[in-house]
Amino acid sequence: MNATIEVRGLRKRYGSTVAVDGLSFTVEPGQVTGFVGPNGAGKSSTMRMIMGMDRPDEGSALIGGRPYRTLRSPLCQVGALLDASAVHPGRRARDHLLWMAHSNGLPVRRVDEVIDLVGLRPVARRAAGGFSLGMRQRLGIAAALIGDPAVLMFDEPVNGLDPEGITWIRGLLRSLAAEGRAVLVSSHLMSELEGSADHLVVIGRGRVVADTSVQELLTAASSGRVMLRTGRRQEAMTVLANAGASVAANGPDTLTVSGLAAERIVALLNEGGVSFSGIAEHRASLEEAYMELTRDAVDFRGATGAAGGPGSADADGTAAGGAGGSASSSASAGREQR
Amino acid sequence: MTTTTTRFQSSVSGVRDDGAFVSTGRLVRAEWTKFRSVRRWILGVLAMAVLTVGMGLFIASGSGTDANTRPEEVTVGPGGARVHDVFQFTHRPLQGDGGITARVTSLKSADGREMAGWAKAGVIIKAGTKPGSTYAAVMVTPGHGVRLQSDFTNDVAGKSRAIPGWLRLVRAGTSVTGYESADGRTWRKVGTVTLPELPQRAEIGLFATSPGVFKVQREFGSTSVGQSTSVVAATFDGVDVQSRQQAASWNNTVVSPSRAGGDEFQGNDFQGTQSAGTFTLRGQGDIAPRPDGDDPVRLPFTGVMIGMIAAIALGVLFITAEYKRGMIRTSFAASPRRGRVLAAKAIVISAVTFATGLVATVILFFASQPVLRSGGFAPPAFPEPSLTEPRIMRAVVGTALFLALVAVFSLGVGTILRRSAGAIAGIITLLVLPTIIASALPISAATWMMRLTPAAGLSIQQTSRHYPQVESVCVPEDGCYYSEPWAGIGVLVAYTAVALGLAYWLLRRRDA
Amino acid sequence: MTRTLPIPTLLTRTLLTRTLYAEWTKLRTLPGSGWSFAGVVAVTVALSIAFTASVDAAHCPAPQGCHEDTTKLTLSGTWLGQAAVVVLAALVITNEHATRMIQTTLAATPRRAVVLFAKAVVVAGVVMAAAVLGVAGSLLTGRFFLEGNGFTAANGHPPLSLGSEPTLRAAFGTVLYLVLVGLLSLGAGALLRDTAGTITAVLTLFYIAPVAVQFVGDPHWRERLEKAAPSAGMAVQATRNLDRLPIGPWAGLGVLAAYAACALLAGGAAFIRRDP
Repeated sequence: MNATIEVRGLRKRYGSTVAVDGLSFTVEPGQVTGFVGPNGAGKSSTMRMIMGMDRPDEGSALIGGRPYRTLRSPLCQVGALLDASAVHPGRRARDHLLWMAHSNGLPVRRVDEVIDLVGLRPVARRAAGGFSLGMRQRLGIAAALIGDPAVLMFDEPVNGLDPEGITWIRGLLRSLAAEGRAVLVSSHLMSELEGSADHLVVIGRGRVVADTSVQELLTAASSGRVMLRTGRRQEAMTVLANAGASVAANGPDTLTVSGLAAERIVALLNEGGVSFSGIAEHRASLEEAYMELTRDAVDFRGATGAAGGPGSADADGTAAGGAGGSASSSASAGREQR
Repeated sequence: MTTTTTRFQSSVSGVRDDGAFVSTGRLVRAEWTKFRSVRRWILGVLAMAVLTVGMGLFIASGSGTDANTRPEEVTVGPGGARVHDVFQFTHRPLQGDGGITARVTSLKSADGREMAGWAKAGVIIKAGTKPGSTYAAVMVTPGHGVRLQSDFTNDVAGKSRAIPGWLRLVRAGTSVTGYESADGRTWRKVGTVTLPELPQRAEIGLFATSPGVFKVQREFGSTSVGQSTSVVAATFDGVDVQSRQQAASWNNTVVSPSRAGGDEFQGNDFQGTQSAGTFTLRGQGDIAPRPDGDDPVRLPFTGVMIGMIAAIALGVLFITAEYKRGMIRTSFAASPRRGRVLAAKAIVISAVTFATGLVATVILFFASQPVLRSGGFAPPAFPEPSLTEPRIMRAVVGTALFLALVAVFSLGVGTILRRSAGAIAGIITLLVLPTIIASALPISAATWMMRLTPAAGLSIQQTSRHYPQVESVCVPEDGCYYSEPWAGIGVLVAYTAVALGLAYWLLRRRDA
Repeated sequence: MTRTLPIPTLLTRTLLTRTLYAEWTKLRTLPGSGWSFAGVVAVTVALSIAFTASVDAAHCPAPQGCHEDTTKLTLSGTWLGQAAVVVLAALVITNEHATRMIQTTLAATPRRAVVLFAKAVVVAGVVMAAAVLGVAGSLLTGRFFLEGNGFTAANGHPPLSLGSEPTLRAAFGTVLYLVLVGLLSLGAGALLRDTAGTITAVLTLFYIAPVAVQFVGDPHWRERLEKAAPSAGMAVQATRNLDRLPIGPWAGLGVLAAYAACALLAGGAAFIRRDP
C-alpha cells in the first residue's frame, strides 16, 4: 500500500461552528509533516476525520487511497495518537496494548516490543489510571506503533513530556520517517516542530494557509528583507524609497528594507553618499514565519498582550505587530481569505 | 538601582471568614449554581415530577371499586365515617332517662366456626333501628374483655374479662354511663359518653353480633384476603329495664342496611328468643367503624415509586459527576472543609427535590380526584378527601419529603461509592424491589422486609384510618407495615443519616 | 514508497474473531469485571436463599394444599441478579464513551457494526456463564431449604430437579432471560452512551410494570401491563397453573427478546451513524 494521507476538500461543521472548511493536502512518505495551526484551527477535527471517527460533511480523507473505515487491519496501516487520556484508568498498560493487538490479529510479542520501545517496561503491569501525563503519552505512542504501520499520526505528541522526552520523541519521529513512513505531527507551536519537521501544512480557521517545505517557508519569510544600520536614517530612507524599495524604521538607527537586494542597497547608498554602519540579510525563525502566516487566522487572541503576545519573542523587532507595514511577506499564500 | 516593593492587594474583597453558618450559606449558593447550570439535572428534576404525576394518574385510572354499586347498603355513622352496623337487636322503647341491667351468661359460636376476638354481646341504647344511628353500648367480648363503645369510633376498656358478667347502662339526658359487675351487686363504672344526637325516645335492649374471621392466603404471587362469617349466640338473664313508663313488650329487629337481613345472610344467622327470663340472641355483623379497605388517596401517590428513580439518579450524580471529571478537586480547592461541601450538596438536592416533589404531589392530589371518583371512589363509601385534613396533608407533604430523603440518601451512597453505575443500580433496586417481591413472600417476612429497607418511608403515604377495635388485614405491600405512618420515614431518615455520616467520614479520610 | 510489513499478522483470523478476541481481552482485563460477574451470581443466589428460607409449608392451609410454585420461588433471585446484569452490560459500552476509550476501539476496528456485534457476543457469553452459575446455585440451595421447610415429596413437592420438564424450562429460560436483559442494556448503552442514564432508563423499564401491577386494581390493565412490559420474560419461570398466567412462558420471553432486539437495533443504528 501507498504510505500517504490524502485529504481532499474536507469540510465539517459542528452545530453553527465551521471546524474544517475545505481542507486539501497530502502527507508524503519518508518525511515528517508538521500540521500546524492555532488552537481551534481544525487540526484535531481533521485528524479525527482521517481516522474515520467523525464523518466529513464534504470531501474525503484517504489513507493509501482508502477510507479508514474500510481498512481491515487498520493498526498495521495507520498508527495514531489522538488523545492520550483515552484509556480505561482501571486497565493495566500491558492489557490495553494486548486487546489492541488481539483486535488486529497481531502477535502478543509485539505488545512487549512496543512497551520496550517507549520505555514503559517498569510500569507495564500498573493500571493506566495512575500514569502521569508523560507516561500516558508514551502509552499512546506505543499503541500507535503496535501494528508497525506505514502511516503515523500524532496529535500534540510532546504535550506533557519532559525535555528528555521531547528530545526522545523528536528522534523517534525522525527515525520513523527515515524508515520510509509518512508521519503527520500536529502542534500549535511551530517551535516544537523546528528541527523535526520536513514539510509543513499550516492551517487557520479550517483552511490551509500554507503547504510548503520548511526550507521554502523560511526562505520566503526572510526573502528580500535587509537590515540596515545607519546614523543618517532620513537620507537613507529617501534614497531607497526613490529606488522603489519599501522602508520601515525599527529604531533610532535601524531600518528594514524590502524590495531590493543587499548589493543594490549598498550601491545606492554609496551613490547617494549615505554612510551606514552595518547591513545584513534577515533570517526569519520558523516561529516568526508562522506568526506572519497565521496573523489573520488566529481565532482566540487574548484581550491584551500581557504575556507572550504575538511576536514578543523577536529580538529584531521586525515582526512587531504592524509597526510600519514592513511585514509584507511573499509567502502569504493563505492571504486570500481576508 | 533602588526598588520600592508595593504590597500586593487583591482587587477582589469579601474573602472573610464569617463562621460556619455564613460559609455554608455561600457553599449552598455555589452548589445551587452547579446544579441549575447542568441542563440534564434540571430535566431530571422535571422528569421526577412528571413521572410521579403520570404514574400516579395511571395507577389511579387503572383502579376502581364497586363499593358504591349498592349505595343503600353503605352505612354512615354520626361522624360521617363509613361504619358497620349489623346486629341482632332485642329492644323496647325508652322515653327520657332510664337504664338497663343484664347478665351475659354465655357467648359462644353458633356455627361451630372459630369465633372472632371482637365478637360482642351486651346492652345497648340506640336512637332507633336505623343503621348508622347514634348509640352507646357496654358489652363483653371473648378476646378483649368488657368494653364501653359509642358512636362506632369510641372504645373504652373495662376491667372484667369474665363471662358470665353483669352489664348496666344508664341514660341521663345525653350522657350515658356504662357499668360492669361480676355479681350484680357491686358495680364498677366503665365510663360515661355523651351522645348529642340521642333523641328523647330511644330504643334500649340487648344485642349480639360478631365480625368475621380473616383468612389471608398467598398463593401464586397473589394474595387473597377472605373473611369468613362467624355467627355467635349470646344468652342473657336478669334483664331489667329501669324506666318511668310501664313495661313495654320486647321487639326483635335485625339492624342491617340491606333489606330484611340481606341476601348474604343465612336464614338462621339472626334470631332473638326469650323464655322464662332468659334471652337468647344469635347474630353476626359488627357495630364498628369500617376501615377503608382501599386507600384511594394513597393510590396515586404510589406513582412516586417510579418518580423517585429520577431523584436517585440526581442524588448520586450530584457527587459522582464531580469525581468522574476530577471536578471534586476544584470543589475542595474552593472550600477545603469537605463536610460543609457535603452538607451544602445535601441541602441543595433535598430542597430542589422537596420543592419539586411537593408541587408534583399537590398537582397529583387534585388531578387524581376526578379520576378516582370516576373509578368508584366516591361518597358515600369514600368521603371526599380534603387537602386540609391532617392525614391527607401528611401523605402529600410526606411523599415530597420521601423524595427529598431518597435524594439525600443517594447523595450519601454516591459519595461513598464515587461511581454512578453501582450506586444508582443498587439504590433503585433497594428501594423498588421490596415492593415488587413483597407479595411473593409470606406476610411476616414481607412485613419485616418492608419495615427494614429504606422503602419503609413509603408508609407515610397511608391515609386509611385504623381502629384498634376492628380487626383489619392490611398486607405489607399496601403500605401498612407500620401502623404509625411516620415510623417508616424514621427508618429512611436513619438510613440517610448513616449514609451521610459514613460519607462524611470517608471524605475526610480519603484523598480527593 | 511502499513498505513491507515486518510483522506476521494472524491473517487467518477473520475480522470478527479478532474483534471478539479483543473485546474479550478488554472485559477480562478490567478489575471491575470479575466483581460484576461474581455480583450477578452472588445476589441471585442470595435472594433465592432469602426466598426459599422464608417460606414454610406450615403457612399453607394443609401441607398437601400448598400451591407454591417452588421452582419459580427458587429462581426469584433473578429479580436482583438482573440489576447486576444491567450494570455489567451497560458498562461494556458506556464506560468506553466515558473514558473516550471508544476512539481507540474504533481506531483499531473501524467497522462499528462488527464492534457492537462483538460486544453483544461477549456480553451474552459472560452473562450466560454468570446466569448458569446463579441458576445452578439457586436450585441447589433452594432444594436444601425447601425440603427443610416442609416442601417434601410427600406433600406433593418433589425436590427440584432439572429432570422435570417445567423446571428445566424455567432454569434454561432464566439463563436466556438474563442474557436478553444484558443485550437490552448493551443496546440502550449504545443508544444513550451515558452510564447513569442507561442504567436508570433500563431499570425503570424493568421495574415500572411490576410496580404498577402492585397498585393498579383493574385486572385488565394488570394483564395488559404484564403482557407488554419487558418483565413479561419472568413468565418463563412459572411451572404451575400456567393457564392462569397473563402470558405464556415462552411468549413472555419473546416479548423481552423483542425489546432487546429493538434496543440493539436502535443502539446499533446510533452507534454506526454517530461520531464518537
